Amino acid sequence: MDTDRTTGERVFRRDPDLPTPEDIRERVLALEEAGEWIVQRVPQPYREVPTKYGWPKKVPLQHTWHHKSCGQCGHIPGYSTAIFWLHRKLGLDYDDPRDQTSCTGWNYYASATSNAAAQAAVAARNFAAAYATGYFPLIHCGTSYGHYKEVREELVKHGELRRQVREILAKLGKPLVMPEEIVHYSEWVYAVREEIAARRVYDCSEVVVTVHPACHYYKLVQGDAIYDPDIYGGQRTAVVTAVAKALGAQVRDYSMWFDCCGFGFRHILVQRDFTRSFAVSRKIETMIEEAKPDVVLTHDTGCVTTLDKSQFAAQVHKKKVGVPVMSEAQFAALAMGAHPYRVCQLHWHAADYRPLLEKMGIDWRERWREFEEDLERIQRGEKEYLTWEDVDAEVPARHFLPVS
Amino acid sequence: MALHAPPKLEKYADVPYEEKERLFQEVKSDPRFPDYLYGCYECGICVAACPSARFYDFSPRKIAQTLAREDVELFYYQLNEDVWNCSQCFSCNRCPRGNSPGGLITIMREVAVRHGLRSAKEALEGYSRVIYKIMLTGTQVSPDMIQADAFPDWGPVAKETAEKLELWRKAIPPETMHTTSTAWEVSDQTLAELYLIWYMTGVLDMIREVDEGLHMILTDVMEEFLEEKGLAVAS
Amino acid sequence: MPSDVVLVIGGGPAGLEAARGVADLGARVVLVEERDRLGGTPVFERYAALTHGFQDAEEVMDRMVRAVVGHPGVEVRLRSKVVSCEGQVGSFRVGVQRLEDGAPTTVEAGAIIVATGFQHFDPGRETQVYGYYEYPDVITLADAEAMLKAKRFVRPSTGLPPERVCFIQCVGSRDRQIGNEYCSKVCCGIASKQAIEIRQQVPQCKVYIFYIDMRMYGYWENEIYWPAQEQYKVNYIKGIATEIIRKGDKLLVRGEDTTLGRPLEVPMDVVILSVGMEPSKGTREVAKVLGLKQNKYGFIEVPHEGVDPVATSVPGIFVAGAAAGPKDLDDTLSMAGAAAMKAVAALRRAAVAGAAG
Repeated sequence: MDTDRTTGERVFRRDPDLPTPEDIRERVLALEEAGEWIVQRVPQPYREVPTKYGWPKKVPLQHTWHHKSCGQCGHIPGYSTAIFWLHRKLGLDYDDPRDQTSCTGWNYYASATSNAAAQAAVAARNFAAAYATGYFPLIHCGTSYGHYKEVREELVKHGELRRQVREILAKLGKPLVMPEEIVHYSEWVYAVREEIAARRVYDCSEVVVTVHPACHYYKLVQGDAIYDPDIYGGQRTAVVTAVAKALGAQVRDYSMWFDCCGFGFRHILVQRDFTRSFAVSRKIETMIEEAKPDVVLTHDTGCVTTLDKSQFAAQVHKKKVGVPVMSEAQFAALAMGAHPYRVCQLHWHAADYRPLLEKMGIDWRERWREFEEDLERIQRGEKEYLTWEDVDAEVPARHFLPVS
Repeated sequence: MALHAPPKLEKYADVPYEEKERLFQEVKSDPRFPDYLYGCYECGICVAACPSARFYDFSPRKIAQTLAREDVELFYYQLNEDVWNCSQCFSCNRCPRGNSPGGLITIMREVAVRHGLRSAKEALEGYSRVIYKIMLTGTQVSPDMIQADAFPDWGPVAKETAEKLELWRKAIPPETMHTTSTAWEVSDQTLAELYLIWYMTGVLDMIREVDEGLHMILTDVMEEFLEEKGLAVAS
Repeated sequence: MPSDVVLVIGGGPAGLEAARGVADLGARVVLVEERDRLGGTPVFERYAALTHGFQDAEEVMDRMVRAVVGHPGVEVRLRSKVVSCEGQVGSFRVGVQRLEDGAPTTVEAGAIIVATGFQHFDPGRETQVYGYYEYPDVITLADAEAMLKAKRFVRPSTGLPPERVCFIQCVGSRDRQIGNEYCSKVCCGIASKQAIEIRQQVPQCKVYIFYIDMRMYGYWENEIYWPAQEQYKVNYIKGIATEIIRKGDKLLVRGEDTTLGRPLEVPMDVVILSVGMEPSKGTREVAKVLGLKQNKYGFIEVPHEGVDPVATSVPGIFVAGAAAGPKDLDDTLSMAGAAAMKAVAALRRAAVAGAAG
């Protein structure tokens, strides 16, 4: 290690000669060579990002098949919408499929009313569906991402499971496909953070952010989470933080950074006292006491849900709560001028986000009036839905990839 | 055999030892078991990282130890009393031996469900509508699940969302999200494929063990749907 | 032509003891050292007291160095590096490069002793999150040793004496995820020794050691472990930590008190990471240059460990000290003596064979 023993900052420099754990991607490719499955390659253009053991990871910029998250689309629709919106404003092509099921990981972790073969088959079915379109899967949910990495390991290590899943897919008329990389949307946001920052229209320099990293993103299978030497010295995962910093916000630390949010999968539905106790006592209160954030940013469905929704009941117990929670995608979109209601759908959030919008200089009263007008028009039957057309005109798309 | 018998194990004293042993062997022979349990030197890192350990009388270390020692009595106790406290966050994957207590618990839960243990049924009480959703619609936690009486502690936003659901769902730009009973629009073909996966992997048999009523509804709906599509339930 | 020279690579305790041993037996030694001084890790990392009887490290190393430098049978080449090797036992031809100017020389040697030692595990590669690269108050055994030698053991962030200090054992060792599955052998002894030294130098400071097992072999038990607990009231807690994160002006250490079976979260002023041993860069390079088999961890592989603890995969090349794996000072000096004896025997055998044939 480089260190001046008496003073000075230490800098971690990875020694390339020292061994790292096994890179499962090598085994994925070897299995393709052996005819066990097809490996869908990451399409160009892609960017290489650094990961925990120093291996580069390919993140596709466009031609992505968006593997949506049930909790997001169901309860935090602004989260999914913001992810799509960011692609549109960067001029990056994507597919929003109907031929997609949930990863079913939430149910699996909550109730175990499933098994390894079913979970692997569900994953493989989705991968095959993506492969058929030629677009590369981009995973919206942290749990889907972690769960699919778990499934990948199981399929690599157990030939019998592979055979079983291959047979099931064959009955569905599909090949067994494994993507070359399993990519989380927050890795895509990380990869294009400079382009996002270049399109920022609101000043974020006064916004204080605390970051909550999702357990299933960086703890479940550790090797391919993004670790960047410029963020936390490469010692903590860099997603979300790197984006907040690129936008000019102040990211403040707190002493429960590594703690789980307390989502618990089944706990948030049937044992919420655990979730609430954890989310409020260990995360929210600590953040407020130690960092006084204007917003909590995270990158997973369950974490947004837990941290946002757990605060209301805690007020009754006089707990120190009341900080808005959202995904970094929603925050980035706001900073780029996205409509807080048409795009970020903040009316679905529980903790009050309006002081944050005011701090950023966003006139939420006017925006809400506009959105209410949209709602009235829909109610009157003048339009059936709010559409991308309605929303795209507000902020122009600025492409950055060369036109092919 | 247990090295000792702490009083708490008496709760399951009338369950035959062979039954407990059988369930233990089922966990041990799961193909994933050797990936999840190497050895344990009781370093405590898993407990240090575990959120459930701070709230419940729960210890991922004790679960790993029990399985490593093949303590069948203690295993059966934990299978009934402890495994549903795990929050499946996998912070315990920090284990320096490469164990995954969370993974072991996943296997134990599957075994509990497959055998219809009363503790599994109790743990899943109130959860059946979620299983219903994921089995039949291909998404979970749909918009129409935010009901004020189901989530009173979420505050006024739950009530407002429930009241304005139909309208608000129309005011979301992505075309696939103008839904209320599912998180996004899932195509019929996709659903058919999902049902076939459930059948072919034995998941429906697992559900029958914990909730017969639910199982009946699920199979009725799925069979009808598949018939309409001209697909047979291949086994 | 069989050579009567033993080449010793590395000028730390193993190399010094081997060189003096060979010369005492009447053979000639060329001692090659990459750095500009002899002494190896105890000198360069400013060791305070050696675990071995709490002797002053500087005095001990000084004696070892003088015994070699003054010895007529030993030629010392500092700032030099082994870059190539040909031949076999009895007549190796080794390319040694002077680092200043890159000037190449050749050393003809009948036997070689590799004593290139170890390096400490870099905490940046840890699976747990210990914050060595975030917090100046998280330090390693080596950082602590330097402060103890200077008799100025303080909180690096404030320069003031600490009130609460803890050690975390097994950092970078006994770990399947990192890949260093072995035990580094000396860290339990060193941590306990340092704990005693801290209690001596900063009597008001409470000291804790978080461990998985306390490896106090032989006389370490009664000479170090019992006094640490009984005289110096060092607190040994079974259960190591997973996270260190700052809270206010303290460091919060998260572990489990496995004896009491519950999670533990305690504030500390200084956290000392008991980092393990890995093969040094020099060891890894020399192994390749000499064509020596390495074990899966990169240490020099000793084919019949326990039966011939100084043999390598190449006849006539011997290993001494931590280049072969985690070793304490007793192991190192014993191996150096055995290697010296075997190297000289190899020389003499080759000379006899040469004269006969």
